[in-house]
Amino acid sequence: MSRPVQALLTRLEEIVGGARVLTDPEALATRQVDHLRPSAIIQPADAAQTAEVLRFAAGEKLALVPCGGGTKLGIGAPPERYDLALDLSRMNHVLAYDPRDLTLGVEPGMRIENLLRTLSEQKQFLPLAVPFSDRATIGGIVAANSSSPLRHSYGGVRDYCLGMEFVTGEGVISKGGGRVVKNVTGYDLHKLLIGSLGTLAVITRVNFRTFPLPPAQGTFVASFSDAEPAFSFCHAVGESVLAPQIIEVADPGTAHLLFSAETPARIEPQQWSVIITAAGQSSVVDRHARELGRMASAADAIELVPLTDKETSSILARIREFPRLILEAAPAAAIFRIGVLPTAMPFLLGQLSKLAAQNHLDLATLTRASGIVFAAFLPKEENTAPSADLAKAANEVFHACGKPEISASAMLEWCPAEVKRAVGNVWGPPRKDFALMQRVKNVFDPQNVLSPGRFAGGI
Amino acid sequence: MQPKLIRELVALLGPKAVLSQPEDLMLYEYDGSVELGAPECIVLPSSTREVAEIARLARLYATPLVGRGAGTGLSGGAIARNGGIVIVFSRMNRILEIDGANQRAVVQPGVVNLDLSRAVEHLGLYFAPDPSSQKSCTIGGNVAENSGGPHTLAYGVTTNHVTGLELVLSDGEVVRIGGKTVETLGYDLDGLFVGSEGTLALVTEITVRLSRKPEAVKTLLAVYETLDDTTESVVDITVRAITPAACEMLDGFTLRAVEDFVHAGFPKDCAAVLLIEVEGLTEAVEAQAAEITEVCRLHHAREVRVARDDRERDLLWKGRKNAFGALGRLSPMYYVQDGVIPRTRLPETLRCITEVACKYDLQIGNIFHAGDGNLHPLILFDERDRAQFERVIAAGNEIMKHCIAVGGALTGEHGVGMEKNELMPLMFTPDDLALMQRVRAAFNPTGLLNPGKVLPLGKGCGEIRVLPPPASASTPA
Repeated sequence: MSRPVQALLTRLEEIVGGARVLTDPEALATRQVDHLRPSAIIQPADAAQTAEVLRFAAGEKLALVPCGGGTKLGIGAPPERYDLALDLSRMNHVLAYDPRDLTLGVEPGMRIENLLRTLSEQKQFLPLAVPFSDRATIGGIVAANSSSPLRHSYGGVRDYCLGMEFVTGEGVISKGGGRVVKNVTGYDLHKLLIGSLGTLAVITRVNFRTFPLPPAQGTFVASFSDAEPAFSFCHAVGESVLAPQIIEVADPGTAHLLFSAETPARIEPQQWSVIITAAGQSSVVDRHARELGRMASAADAIELVPLTDKETSSILARIREFPRLILEAAPAAAIFRIGVLPTAMPFLLGQLSKLAAQNHLDLATLTRASGIVFAAFLPKEENTAPSADLAKAANEVFHACGKPEISASAMLEWCPAEVKRAVGNVWGPPRKDFALMQRVKNVFDPQNVLSPGRFAGGI
Repeated sequence: MQPKLIRELVALLGPKAVLSQPEDLMLYEYDGSVELGAPECIVLPSSTREVAEIARLARLYATPLVGRGAGTGLSGGAIARNGGIVIVFSRMNRILEIDGANQRAVVQPGVVNLDLSRAVEHLGLYFAPDPSSQKSCTIGGNVAENSGGPHTLAYGVTTNHVTGLELVLSDGEVVRIGGKTVETLGYDLDGLFVGSEGTLALVTEITVRLSRKPEAVKTLLAVYETLDDTTESVVDITVRAITPAACEMLDGFTLRAVEDFVHAGFPKDCAAVLLIEVEGLTEAVEAQAAEITEVCRLHHAREVRVARDDRERDLLWKGRKNAFGALGRLSPMYYVQDGVIPRTRLPETLRCITEVACKYDLQIGNIFHAGDGNLHPLILFDERDRAQFERVIAAGNEIMKHCIAVGGALTGEHGVGMEKNELMPLMFTPDDLALMQRVRAAFNPTGLLNPGKVLPLGKGCGEIRVLPPPASASTPA
């Protein structure tokens, strides 16, 4: 901070109120990003206060990181500068919910858990089965474009987010999109904020379309001796008329995590597992049960096990919390998020497995069959200083993903700060379109106030 | 236009691919909207490299550059409002790749929408956005306008089906954004460029997601004696959270015109019909069709008919998709709007449109994508009657203001273009518009890409102002 800190804090207190500027070390530790601590946490009450804070920060050349539940602050490159944490958790209200219209407007600090509870009272939901679901907030989920297994049937955030209100890096309240389910008016500026990690603007309202909860649901686990038949099975399901809600593939390492605690004794966790959920009328679920059984045998599955409701909720919760389970088991793990075409998945997973072995690391992968692989590299227990091995593996992953036969889009989503430093760039090698992203950044945040340096291309 | 520019374009593209005779230019001065604007030159490139060279020349000569597909747009997006070059993509009409296993296709912008679905039909796939003009409109145009169609109710508009683009920027640089995978790194540039109406870049290649054809389809026709019963049925279907693949409404006036034209089997003596389609697994379709039938009956539908076979189904859709043409037979011109309202506000909105028609003494036909609240009131008029035309515009604006007042949007699928750009302040604040203007300036700094579109002209927005040619461009004279 350029001016004496106290003078700055006094001005911020005038904007948000004295009790809403926190400086005690314990609080600051919760908003730490890659060992960097802010000088203060600012808790605005609304978009107007947020705008005033941002105008002030821009004037004082302060760097500010927006946050909610603080569950995803580790994602992205380490910030170049970090003066203030802009904590949006006070902005936690549903602003408009019209269950009859299946539309919703919500503040960024609302916890997803609370929002889903409100929606379920109307037998509705949002397809956001995302990690850290007890603390994650809407703003953070959208800004990190958190991945949900329900993407398979409902698309990503960009497909059901109708519009947003936000505050730019210059402190201007602005918006993109709208509140109705169909709308192509003006540039879709709100889409730019999805996955932008708080580098373009501070989200102050998100409008969604909501979905009816399906009347019935059934989950099935098919086990395979190898990756190849598991993916052939997924492909066959994809080419069929069936329309499952979720298709996930767990390698043996992940299956072990998913099925360990309350493992249904019937499932053998040492295998490749394909987890499929069907939803809709009960006749639709029954049809899936019949045909999946037939397809699984045709694909040489060891078995196809239907889960009870209790087992289903336990396993879907574990799938949802995959990164968290990994990080709790191995805090030093490095978890990649890789966008890849379904036909390239078996080869990619084979390459990843080789890289892990070569670098003395364990590997656990969870694959969304529609095209996202989460690959966690875990140091072996005896390895007390794994950073170098992890960094070497990470760079090899980026290299492998760049190969034409894989051409995947990889990001190192979760890893310790030391590994980030050793890898050099969690966003992988530079791409030509990063220059276009820089132009967007210059429009939204010309002073580089918001999360400087955290994003792809050094943004 | 400077003769030297035309000579350079001819040298680049060959004489057959550059049109500048008045009779040629006339063919490109209109599109599907009520707008007009005369271009000074038409170019028909055949490759990305040529498009890039054209962009460089346009910049060098400070000449506007307007992209155009089939010219079916309904908001004036493809019209050369300030003259200049119209770049027609009809020769760039190749499907470059079909990747059935990954449900992707890579196409050039001039590929006709329905041709792509036909090309992948044998794989059990199709391209979901289905504008009524899908037999002639191009995918490049769909990308520019972020087009929709009846089935967007369940499947979304164009932006939900595009994963990657090749762009030619205003200075001629070629850049790829997005890709084939469901996720790529960084900001969602596809989301920004799809629907930017040719004002940010020219699109020369499009990677699209293909959808799997459903096992079963059922098309229902519900016939009503009153408009209120019709709209209340739509509200109830929405409230019960039934999501049909399409839910279209045609009022009696429109129906009679359609039936006389297409002979689709629509009843001519009713107040309105709903054309509802459900798709998916046989079991799901049966259940949904039964539920919808129950709702329609509850709201006094006189008849709920299920299309017996593909022929009857195709005929009903032919009637719907030719509705604009049918009304066109009743009057020299029509003005079609594209406002969106929250779906539960349909009954009051339809009453508002009826009142507006009465107040301005106009005939309005109503063809709605009712299921997602996307209205297409079609106002009939004779352009030779200036006083009547002014009433048409006033009536249109009044309907639009109602849409915004109930929390809706200016356009659901036709785009803003030069038709609604001055209405943008109804929906967006000056700060919102200033940010959009700055985004445009970041990619289109000279303002030469499709000038006069999307944003209001207003003072100081730099719309028509163009940069003088750079010093090195002293050669053109």
